[in-house]
Amino acid sequence: MNRRKFIRNAGIAGIAGAGAFAVPYILPSGRLFAATGRQLAGHVVYVLFAGGVRQQESILQRYLDDSQGFPWAGNIMYNMFNGQSPTNKIVFGTDQGNGATGGTPIPQILSQTLETQGTVFREVQAQSAGHFGGLNNLLQGSQVTTQGLKQKPINPTIFEYLRRHGGFPASKVWFVGNGIGNGIPLLNYSNHPNYGAQYGANFFAPTITFGNLGFEHLSNAKVYHPENELDPMYQMKYFLDQSFANVGRGGDSLGNTEDEKQDIKAFMRSTYDRVAQNAIPFPTITENSDAVNIGFACEIMRWFKPAITVVNLSAVDGCHSDFTGYLRALHRADHAVGHLWNYIQTQVPEMAGDTVMIASPECGRNLNHNPIKDVNDWYAYDHSDDNASRVFTVMAGPGVPQNLSIGSEANPIGFTSDNVPTIGEILGVKNEIMSAGFLQPQSVSLFDRI
Amino acid sequence: MGLLLFLLGACKKDASKDQYEVNQVQLYPSIGAKTKNKTQEQYVSILYTNLFQRALSGNKLVEINDCLESIGDKELGREVLISNFMNDPNVVLPSDSSMRSNPDVFTEFTYERFFVRKPSEAEKTWFRNFIEANPQLSAEMIYFAFALSNEYLYY
Repeated sequence: MNRRKFIRNAGIAGIAGAGAFAVPYILPSGRLFAATGRQLAGHVVYVLFAGGVRQQESILQRYLDDSQGFPWAGNIMYNMFNGQSPTNKIVFGTDQGNGATGGTPIPQILSQTLETQGTVFREVQAQSAGHFGGLNNLLQGSQVTTQGLKQKPINPTIFEYLRRHGGFPASKVWFVGNGIGNGIPLLNYSNHPNYGAQYGANFFAPTITFGNLGFEHLSNAKVYHPENELDPMYQMKYFLDQSFANVGRGGDSLGNTEDEKQDIKAFMRSTYDRVAQNAIPFPTITENSDAVNIGFACEIMRWFKPAITVVNLSAVDGCHSDFTGYLRALHRADHAVGHLWNYIQTQVPEMAGDTVMIASPECGRNLNHNPIKDVNDWYAYDHSDDNASRVFTVMAGPGVPQNLSIGSEANPIGFTSDNVPTIGEILGVKNEIMSAGFLQPQSVSLFDRI
Repeated sequence: MGLLLFLLGACKKDASKDQYEVNQVQLYPSIGAKTKNKTQEQYVSILYTNLFQRALSGNKLVEINDCLESIGDKELGREVLISNFMNDPNVVLPSDSSMRSNPDVFTEFTYERFFVRKPSEAEKTWFRNFIEANPQLSAEMIYFAFALSNEYLYY
């Protein structure tokens, strides 16, 4: 139902009741009343960055100085943070150019770092030292002790808050996963009885959906005529479902309308064509699945202009056994995020200037290394100690103070669970999220910590 | 007396000639007995066998399952998958003329093929009317609807 129909129906109800009573009107989203908050921006891009990031090599910019015993510091994330890049032992770049492996750093994309354009919380507490727990925390805003692996989130996710309380349609709420392993596809909605699938996010794992497997099994879909063919097909399906309704129900539905489904199918057809034409807006350096994922996230934003796009990156997790690979992945994740922000500002006019980007690691990494050495004889790092709960949050966009730095190593400020009410505040449903009662205690919007 | 005992002992029942006059009937489960959700793998495997009349290889099953896993809206994913199957020249479908020549038989056959049960009279009537009222309707479209239905997700 569109706004015009809603107003007309509300008017009829008012006339019929002669103004003697007021009946709450249930919107298609399931909401009874309008969201109470004012939106700071029309869109949020939320980057789950990027598979366990050690503070020392990221925001603290210590490069090899605080990990391998070499006195060479420097910033390898110069799209996100201010600071000079390392001048010695350069291994994080590309292999072309000077012949040394990784010897050519990737050129900076953004003319101003996200730190300059926005606000950085330099020392934030992650509430889990593991990936799935950390991702759950970033999306639920809470850390549930009974949350198991391979289990849907127990508490509502930011997707469900936005759709239930903000009334956002399914096709405006997206989660772009970088694969189907590690329970990633489970994260698009919770199994909470008051929320759940009907308020969930649309999800693609583009490296599968639009990769070789997708091409083989999904790209040759027959296109049915919407009125002559699809309409009667759906009529028959609904009749069959009606007969079965007393016995069981279908799989959990995200609540995409028929129009939205047609739009998503059209997007899939377009994307298969654009992949074949090499027209997907990938970052310049596309050496890992994170970069590929960012390219497809750009494609989703170009098509749907989502209210929220959550993008998951995880390639830095190679740090369990390959520190050099970790540095390279971290540098590429920064490059990918720079590309994403640049693409929004220059290629998606509907989102340019009206989008807030937030990036936080789901967890950090250990203070001390494990015994595994890589090709450069550098030690690797796992994530299980206190240092693994140290992360950062960076955000930029309308309403976010520019060039602001909050907190320090000695003065941690904020939690990763703060991101959920922060997004709620940007998109106008903070009060509903706060009053739902599922957030981690002490979690507040980051705007309230500024 | 001895003769009588001899004659009684000679009476023997011929078990092979038992006749109860009961016809052979194929039994189907009722709709109410379908309480178990198929797994995604079961759904894909059964769908493929149904549409192609041959089994899906293990490798392909894993690949297709991964594809469905990569799409958040599972119903949409199934729809895309069925559309792909329908575009395959090897899909085995009844002809539209056979459907139109006897809609009741077609409906019964389709219910048995997809739902492993007989349609009720109401269901048969609905489909007969729907087929007759929609001249553009094809057997493929009906198969599509059955494959996408909620009941097909259960066993």
